Amino acid sequence: MNVKSKKIIYLLLILPVMYVGLLIIMDFDVNQKRPILNIFKSLQSDSALEVVDFSVENTNLNTDLPKPNKDKNPYYGDLHVHTKYSFDAYVFGITATPDDAYRYAKGEGIKHPLGYEMKLREPLDFYSVTDHGFYMGMIQAFSDTTTDISKNDFAKPFHNLNRKENLTVESAGERSDLFSSIIGAVIAEPFPNWHPRIIKAWLTKNTQQALKSFDYDIHKSAWSDIARSANEHNDPGKFTTFIGYEFTTSTDIEGGNLHRNVIFNSSEASIRPWTRIDSLNPEDLWTWQDAMRDKGVDTVSIPHNSNGSNGQMFEMESFLGRAIDQNYSDKRMRNEPLVEITQVKGTSETHPLLSPDDNWADFEIMDARVGSRPPTYSRPSGGYVREAYLNGLTLEFTQQGNPYKFGLIGSSDTHTGAGAFDESNYWSKVGLLDGDAENRGSVPLAPENRERLEEYMAAFNQPQSTIALEQGDYANTGFTQWGASGLAVAWAEENTRDSIFKAFKRKETFATTGSRIAVRFFGGFNLSSIDLNSESLVSEAYKKGVTMGADLISDGEKSPEFIVWAQKDKNGASLQRVQIIKGWMDTTSGRPSEKVFDVACSDGLKVDPITHRCPDNGARVNISDCSISQNIGSTELKTLWKDPEFKSSDKSFYYVRVLENPTCRWSTWDAIKRGFKPREDLHDTIQERAWSSPIWYIPSPSDVVVVPLGGTLPIRTSN
Amino acid sequence: MKNKVFIYFIIGILIYLVDIGLNSDEEKNIYISDQEVISLINAWKSQVGREPTDNEISRIINNLVQEEILYREALSLGLEREDKIIKRRLAQKISFLKQESLLKEPTKLEISEFYKNNKDNYFISDSFTFTHHFFSSDNINSKERALNSLDKNNLSLSKSDPFFLGKNFADISLEEINSNFGNEFSLYFKNPQINEWIGPYKSSFGYHNLFISNYTPGFYPNINDIYKQLEVDLMQVNRDNAVSNFIKEVSSEYSVIINPDLKI
Repeated sequence: MNVKSKKIIYLLLILPVMYVGLLIIMDFDVNQKRPILNIFKSLQSDSALEVVDFSVENTNLNTDLPKPNKDKNPYYGDLHVHTKYSFDAYVFGITATPDDAYRYAKGEGIKHPLGYEMKLREPLDFYSVTDHGFYMGMIQAFSDTTTDISKNDFAKPFHNLNRKENLTVESAGERSDLFSSIIGAVIAEPFPNWHPRIIKAWLTKNTQQALKSFDYDIHKSAWSDIARSANEHNDPGKFTTFIGYEFTTSTDIEGGNLHRNVIFNSSEASIRPWTRIDSLNPEDLWTWQDAMRDKGVDTVSIPHNSNGSNGQMFEMESFLGRAIDQNYSDKRMRNEPLVEITQVKGTSETHPLLSPDDNWADFEIMDARVGSRPPTYSRPSGGYVREAYLNGLTLEFTQQGNPYKFGLIGSSDTHTGAGAFDESNYWSKVGLLDGDAENRGSVPLAPENRERLEEYMAAFNQPQSTIALEQGDYANTGFTQWGASGLAVAWAEENTRDSIFKAFKRKETFATTGSRIAVRFFGGFNLSSIDLNSESLVSEAYKKGVTMGADLISDGEKSPEFIVWAQKDKNGASLQRVQIIKGWMDTTSGRPSEKVFDVACSDGLKVDPITHRCPDNGARVNISDCSISQNIGSTELKTLWKDPEFKSSDKSFYYVRVLENPTCRWSTWDAIKRGFKPREDLHDTIQERAWSSPIWYIPSPSDVVVVPLGGTLPIRTSN
Repeated sequence: MKNKVFIYFIIGILIYLVDIGLNSDEEKNIYISDQEVISLINAWKSQVGREPTDNEISRIINNLVQEEILYREALSLGLEREDKIIKRRLAQKISFLKQESLLKEPTKLEISEFYKNNKDNYFISDSFTFTHHFFSSDNINSKERALNSLDKNNLSLSKSDPFFLGKNFADISLEEINSNFGNEFSLYFKNPQINEWIGPYKSSFGYHNLFISNYTPGFYPNINDIYKQLEVDLMQVNRDNAVSNFIKEVSSEYSVIINPDLKI
């Protein structure tokens, strides 16, 4: 044997040994959960940290932007919109593209999968298409029989799913089954351990590459189309878009919903969304966000549907069951300054079991875990915003930091590209499954539809899908707990990406249930010196106090004063009352408490100083035609309020709740439009409302924890 | 005479049989191009991650052949007819074809033509700079107070109510006026009187007296200022129109027959 052939034999021997070696290292790293030598870690690159500039050539007319308003304007938008690129939206029959979604937000009409037009009464100011990150674009590829990936067995059920003649209510069962098969991860089967794709996945820290049912190129092209569309529709001064996606994670066994939307601040974003396939643990998402921020790309992640988290969105411990510490709290607040308090799938402000003394707590409660099959009760404690604020104070009391010091927004979570915000013009959100009144459960089922629904829902692991009531049998699949909600509102100087994103970061936001209520909220120690009827009220309040989302640091024993100013939706019902909800940590007993104060009543009525309640203003709804009392209620409510029970040593938070006069709920509109009476087991009416982000009262200046915001805002120093 | 007819008849049948024979021979050939084989092998490689063995290659080709045979037999039985999936798929294919053929960038002429036809979509609407005095309908006699305030020629601010969005508005469009004051409020800005107190006008919130200090009439922007935008929009429209235009083109060749008495 000559030297050359020896070399070749060595090489041939060494290659498999190296291959096996790499497999062993990977096995240690992945399966054995043991840390490996860092030298091997350096073999890995992080595909999720590659930054791409998706900006398109500026196509907008270079007219001068209006001057920024230093007193700020309220901008209304939706930060939670799915299109055909979401794995479930496509299964629900949605064919709307991100372009369609943005056109809708700008006021154009687009088509619902069932054929009718969806159009806004008034355009929105900002919008973000946030498709599910994991499997983004894949289901569409399974369905398109020209793609390679569609030739696999797992893709067969999806073939031509949304062909036109299949866009019918009758296909709901087939669709529901597919939805659960994805949720059950039937198609997420990995390659065998020896497979080169596994090594590729490990080397690029891109776990999804290890899945048979995954095609990275299709995934990336879906993401870049979403980013392109966002950048193309961004029109500074008139209409703002954000690149975004949904990080759709959940707890392992109970299926507690831990979904978050990730919103980017510029035209740059990562080359792919960082998804639940990378990790189920939200802390890992924050680590990735921190790393992206180091690269100059800022993001916020916004949790939603805490109501369906089985109490796990706002826990007193971390995802892995460890105690929360200052580091955890800082990291969470750095990345999650906002929470989506309301959307189609219910409102997460508080629950009657958590706030038994709050007469308005029983509002649009959705009591099931998100996506659970069969539908399973979601434990309230740990799933609602007000309790999270209180728990935050408790955690701070025990020196663990406050991970729940977030501001509030609403959004729709529509899967049709088009949010339904109007009770009298409602299409819910999952396309063919709830696009008509019968399937939503607001009118009785025709006999043949009843049979079909029961058959399908039994296959979909929901044995009990109808309910017998006075007017007949109704669908009872959970859609009755959904509703026409909500909107995100930001107080910003101008309608640009930068200005609105900064408002998100400083939490100068409020949420509404779809109504265009507007609310100002200021706190300070010298606000009573401002004339409430002065034209300069707002600019003075900004000078003398702090606004929603901020900390109010104590001034000796002085009791804080608050100014609230709310304006009704110009097309909606008049305002009934304004409330301030206070939560505080009693330092002597170590117990958190909450209380609801009415602070301004409509029609010149006065708050009862003992009960802190407004008298009934007499506004009523006629359920037979949904007409409401005329000339009752106020177009605006404005007041200066001083906390009558203030204790200067107690850490507290204050947020505003604005209530409209009652109006018909969508289920009532659905019924009367079709000649039925509203269903007796649902609320007939609804009080549309808005919630401001809180102002936190901090007793001692040394107690302020300044969370660095990563460069976009100057850090405030505590004096 | 009778015989001649018979002979022609026989000849006709013979020609028919020969024709069938020849054609069916042709149909039974399955041609597999090099390209097809290579693309299949490439697909196999990208899935499995290595070169296929000879055995595997022959299996791939056998599968292809079997598929082709089944396909042709199905065609000969006419199974493709009335199959909605196949119909839909073919319709989709031709739609894509029509759309893709239009991906070329539009010419200057096309763009200026497009702009001419869609001018109104690019109209920069009128904008107004104004001050207003607001008399909230929450307070009594809001209309009378507004009228009084105009009458006296003595506009003392203290008499009006503060408006939620402020007193002064600079360069705002008719759409924004509607959005801030309620639908229809922009009607009062038609034919505006400049530098003069006018009103009172009713909004969703109460009565307003207006002092419009500046009015910029709407205008159609210069084509060069919005050229990029026009190009993007035209391409989008072309894509959207491609299929419907094609249908329009050929639909005249079709006639649709439907039972007018069908009871549904």
